[in-house]
Amino acid sequence: MDLTMNITRNETEHLVSLSGDVDAFTGPKAKEAIMTSVETPGVAVVVVDLSQVEYMDSTGIGIFIGVMKACKQVGCDFVVQNLPSRVERLFRITGLYDLVSIRKGESE
Amino acid sequence: MTRGIEKKYVQLLRDYLAGQGEDQLYDAQQLGKWLLLQDISPEEMIDLHGRALEYLGDVPEFVRASFSILTEVMIEYGNEHRSVTSMRSKHKQFQSEMAVASAMQKSLVPQELPVYPDVEIGLVSVAAKQISGDYYNIVTHDDGRLCLTISDITGKGISAAMCMSMLKYAMESLGDMLHGPDEMLRHLNRVVERNIDPSMFVTMLFGCYDTQKHRFRYAVAGHEPGFVYRAKEGRFYDMEGKGMALGICSDSHYQEYEVHLDVGDVLILLTDGVTERKIGRYYLHRDELVSYLEAELGTSAQVMADNLYSKLLLLSQFELPDDYTMMILRRT
Amino acid sequence: MAELYPETIKIDSVADIVAARQVGRNMSRQLGFGTIMQSRMATTISELARNIFLYAGEGTITITPIEREGAIGLQITALDAGPGIADIRKVLEDGYSTSGALGAGLPGVRRMMDEFDIQSALGEGTKVIVVKWRS
Repeated sequence: MDLTMNITRNETEHLVSLSGDVDAFTGPKAKEAIMTSVETPGVAVVVVDLSQVEYMDSTGIGIFIGVMKACKQVGCDFVVQNLPSRVERLFRITGLYDLVSIRKGESE
Repeated sequence: MTRGIEKKYVQLLRDYLAGQGEDQLYDAQQLGKWLLLQDISPEEMIDLHGRALEYLGDVPEFVRASFSILTEVMIEYGNEHRSVTSMRSKHKQFQSEMAVASAMQKSLVPQELPVYPDVEIGLVSVAAKQISGDYYNIVTHDDGRLCLTISDITGKGISAAMCMSMLKYAMESLGDMLHGPDEMLRHLNRVVERNIDPSMFVTMLFGCYDTQKHRFRYAVAGHEPGFVYRAKEGRFYDMEGKGMALGICSDSHYQEYEVHLDVGDVLILLTDGVTERKIGRYYLHRDELVSYLEAELGTSAQVMADNLYSKLLLLSQFELPDDYTMMILRRT
Repeated sequence: MAELYPETIKIDSVADIVAARQVGRNMSRQLGFGTIMQSRMATTISELARNIFLYAGEGTITITPIEREGAIGLQITALDAGPGIADIRKVLEDGYSTSGALGAGLPGVRRMMDEFDIQSALGEGTKVIVVKWRS
């Protein structure tokens, strides 16, 4: 399976919606897109929506760790929303769940 | 190209034109294989055919001229052919480098398992590819402690192998100065956090088993803790424990957990290659895994680990997409 | 056989690419290269000239008959003042040639020729010199 991305932008907030598989093959593409948003001047909040993610492995989790670290450096808020249960489980086991802002329920 | 090939080819064409038999077509196919071995390029073959025609009769000018077009087109195929040949030799070199890395990696894990009078150890660790992202270690101490590490490094391949040697040597040098497993993970986290790529992380369970008191003290860093089987109750429990994976935060702290094993109790430690297993279109369910474990309970720890590996491999149609490690400790 | 002189072809259109090929093919025939080598020479010139035309816009191809220690050969020099190549090693890697980007086709050229030299600086341009000896 492949990964598709949809990005909604306004001046201060970017929403990156991922759909499909996030793994070693598709991960770099997702990371590049999210990092572009993080590094855009004026963007204060980057939200990543995972409601359409079907599969994520540890390389995928690694992306969120990398993005989280980058956000800390540039002072941007990083929010992850609508985690499917398998992904949520990975976030909880690795401890990432306690480090990023998690938003639930409000699928667009 | 040698004269010999040209003569042979002319003869083959002549024979074929005389009878148009399947014999010559078969010979031509075999010749193709041989020509490839001799590194004859497609454009050289076209040229050979053009020259061979001249021996067989009067070649009309338009046929002769058409060979220029064919040759020109085939040069691109020739380029591709040459590039594949060169990639093949690079690939061979790469494979032998990987084989060396893989052998080096195998030297990082214990070569044999320790033997105790009333504790059995079973282990299966299989890499999905040449280089494993799973790391484990079993270290015995004179005071009767048995220290176990089971760990999963993100990504596979060379980066995982390099990270693994860092883990091993950091743990060895930290080993004697520390009090408990929680301290081990706290220090190890700092080493990992400073030395790996920001997008990489390591999950680990580290603990020491007291072979006299049969008490296992451990700490967990982002790793699925595993199971404990209580013989008296005939039930499996999830081992408790949570903590931040290594390499995420510079100042993570860890908690120590403890389990006590009675006679017949079993401790099962694993990596996500065991649990995150796709069986057909759905993922292996925890309850199913427990029922497979249950079915193997009567045997020794090693037989149990071996049988479970075979069982799961069969269920996933002999595909092993992720590195697989299971460590079993059984009090007898 | 008439004495052969170096020829320089200015490249800024597809017609120039064809003209350069023609000069290279004729010269290699006159030097006694076989038919396959003549075609490979033309292909080499095409690749070098296309890189100039597509990425630098304009430049030159110079075709020079050479003689060294009794051996007869043909030297092609491609010169442009275009964008230049950042990572030459990358461009010469197999697999890059299918990308269609600047420098694509160079791995193939390198294998068809006996000598291959490239100098390039970002923003300054690229110079490629190749030689094929008559065997």
